[in-house]
Amino acid sequence: MNIRAALATVAGKSSKLLLEKTRSGGSSMPGKVAMKIDPSILATLSADYRVIIVTGTNGKTMTTSMITKIFEEKYGQVLTNPTGANMLQGIVSCFLGAPRKKLGGTRFAILEVDEATLKYVTRYIKPEAVVFTNLFRDQMDRYGEIYTTYRLMCEGVAQAPEATVIANGDLPIFSSVALENPFVYFGFDHEEDREQQAHYNTDGILCPKCDNILHYKLLTYSNLGKFYCPYCDFKRPALAHAVTAIHSLSPESSSFAIDGVDFSLPIAGMYNIYNALAAYSVAKHFGISDQYIKRGFEASKRIFGRQEHIHIGDKDVVMNLIKNPVGYNQIVAMLATDPEPFSVVAILNDRHADGTDVSWIWDGDFEQLVQITKGRPFFLSGIRVAELSTRFEVAGLGDDEKIINQDLSAIAEWIKEAPTRKVYILATYTATLDLRRTFAEQGYIKEGMAI
Amino acid sequence: MKLRICHLYGNLLNTYGDNGNLLMLQYVARQLGHEVETTIVSLKDPFVAADYDLLFVGGGQDHEQMVIAKDLPSKRDELVKFIEDGGAGLAICGGYQLLGQYYETADGEKIDGLGALPHYTLRQIDNRFIGDIEIRNERLGETFKGFENHNGRTFLGDGEEPLGRVVEGFGNNGEDGTEGAIYKNIFCSYFHGPLLVRNRHLAKLIIETAVKQAEN
Repeated sequence: MNIRAALATVAGKSSKLLLEKTRSGGSSMPGKVAMKIDPSILATLSADYRVIIVTGTNGKTMTTSMITKIFEEKYGQVLTNPTGANMLQGIVSCFLGAPRKKLGGTRFAILEVDEATLKYVTRYIKPEAVVFTNLFRDQMDRYGEIYTTYRLMCEGVAQAPEATVIANGDLPIFSSVALENPFVYFGFDHEEDREQQAHYNTDGILCPKCDNILHYKLLTYSNLGKFYCPYCDFKRPALAHAVTAIHSLSPESSSFAIDGVDFSLPIAGMYNIYNALAAYSVAKHFGISDQYIKRGFEASKRIFGRQEHIHIGDKDVVMNLIKNPVGYNQIVAMLATDPEPFSVVAILNDRHADGTDVSWIWDGDFEQLVQITKGRPFFLSGIRVAELSTRFEVAGLGDDEKIINQDLSAIAEWIKEAPTRKVYILATYTATLDLRRTFAEQGYIKEGMAI
Repeated sequence: MKLRICHLYGNLLNTYGDNGNLLMLQYVARQLGHEVETTIVSLKDPFVAADYDLLFVGGGQDHEQMVIAKDLPSKRDELVKFIEDGGAGLAICGGYQLLGQYYETADGEKIDGLGALPHYTLRQIDNRFIGDIEIRNERLGETFKGFENHNGRTFLGDGEEPLGRVVEGFGNNGEDGTEGAIYKNIFCSYFHGPLLVRNRHLAKLIIETAVKQAEN
C-alpha cells in the first residue's frame, strides 16, 4: 500500500468510526472521504479478495445474500455490502469496514453492484465472476431503455475479460452480444415444451439478430424462458444449470429441483427460485458441493421489506416491497399461491428512492390482485394515493371496497378490524420505511428489527 | 355497441404506463355501456381498416420504433384509409411521431414515418423536455394536464390543429406554444402519466367520436 492509499484508508476508517459514534447516517460517507484522497483506493482495498459481483434490475440483494450464505457455510466469514450500498462509494465503504485480515486463508467478497456502476467498479476490481440476474424495464427516471442498460453492463464486464459471466439464459438480451468473457448460463427446464408468446405488455421481445417477435417453448414470467426466433436461428443458449422441477410454491416457501437435485427455500416466489438458481450456479462454478448449497438456502432469510412478518393483534401481517411492474406482478403471483383469504394494504410514494415516476402501476397486473381478493376491502395510502386509487378503480375495485387514508397511523387499527387473519402490505421503499417507523412508534415492532 | 379497438404494435409500443391509456379507454367504454374487443396488430400482421372502430398507438423504445418504421409501409394504405375516413384514434409520444412524415432519433438518424399525418419531428441535442404540463383547447372547451418527457420537437402541418395551447410546460417543440395534434379524428400527444388516466374526459370524447363514426 502506498502512502496515498494508506492515508485514504485511515481517513475513510476514521470517518466511519466517527459516523458510528454520532449515528448521523450515510453508509457511503467513509467511501466518499477515502476516494477523495485516493481515487483508485478500491484497487488497493480489494487486492487480497476473490471477488464475485451480482448485478441486474431485480433480485440483486437476494441473490447476493444467498451466495453469501452458501460461501459462509463453506468458508466461514465472507465480505458483503449491505443492501442499497451498491454504488461506488458504498462499495469502498464496505471494504473499509472489513474486519482485519487473518493470515492465510481465502477471503471472498460478494458484492451487489448497481447496473450502471459496474463499469466504474471493474476499472479497479477484477472479479472472478459476475452474475447477471435479469434486466427488466425500470422506471422512466432511472437508466432508460434496456438496451442502454445492457450496453453499460457489457462495458463493465469487458474491463475484466477474465471474469466468467454467470447469466440468466432465459433472458434473450443476455445472449445478444458477443464478449471476450466466458459465459455460463442458467435457466428453467421444468415443463414440457408448449408454443407461446410473452404477454403483450412486456419489454425485450424482439429477436436481437433479425428483429422479429420471439416465441417461447416455455415461459416462466415476463420475457424469461425457452425463447426462439421463428425467422432465424436465434434461440436460448445451452444451459449449464437448470431448474428441472418445481415441486411446490407457497407464500412461505418453495421446493424445486436444480440439475435433478431437490432443494427447498424458506422464501416464496418464482423470482426467488431464479435467484437461488443464480446462487447455485455461482457455487458450482467455485466447486462447492450440494450440501453447502442446501444449508445456504436454508439459512437464507427474508430481507428488508421483502416477505417480512409482523403481528398486529391476532393478525398475521406480511410486508412486501414494490418498485416496478415485473417485481410487482411476481408478488401478486406469489399471493395467488396463498390458500388462505387475505386483505391488502397498498401504499404508493414517489420520493427519489421510490422512483418519482409512478406510471409503472399501469403496467402492473392490478386486475389479478382484485380478482384473487374477491371483494374484500383494500386500504390505500401514500403520497400518490390518488393515482393508486384510480388504478384499482380501473382494475375493477368498487368505491365501497376501498378505504383511502393518508394517515399511516390508522393502518394498524384497520388491520385489527380486517375480515381476514392474513393481511398483505404492498409498499414502495420509502413507504415501507415510513410504515415501519409508525409501527415502531405504536409498539408493534422494535425499531431496527428484522432488517 | 361492440367497440373494436386496434392496439397497433401493442406488444412493442408500450413504454412508461402507456398501457394505462388502453385500460382507461376500455374502462370508460364499458361504463358508457359498450362491449369492448381489443386486437393487437403487430409486425407482419395485416391491418384492415373496416375491422376497427378505434386505433390506439403508444410510445416505444428507440430500437422498437425503428423496427416498426420498417414494417409500416405494409400497412400504409389501410391505415391511411382508416384515418382519412374519419376513424377515431389516439397516438402517444413515439406513436404520434410514427404517424407523421418523419422523425429524427436522438442520434440524428432520420426515420420515415407512416406519412398519414402532416407533422414532422426533429431532435434536440443533449436535451429533453421534461416536466408537468397543462394545455387548453378553446374549441373543445377543455383543459388537459399531464407529464411530458421527450427529446423530439414536433412541428404541425396543414390540416392539423394542436391538441391544446400550452399553459405551462414545453409542448410539441418549446417554440410555438402548441402541444399534440388533432387530425380529422386522430388525437395525438406527448403526454405521459398516462394521458387518459389524468384526462378521463378525453377518453370519453375519443370513444364518443368512435361510436358516432360507427353509427354513420
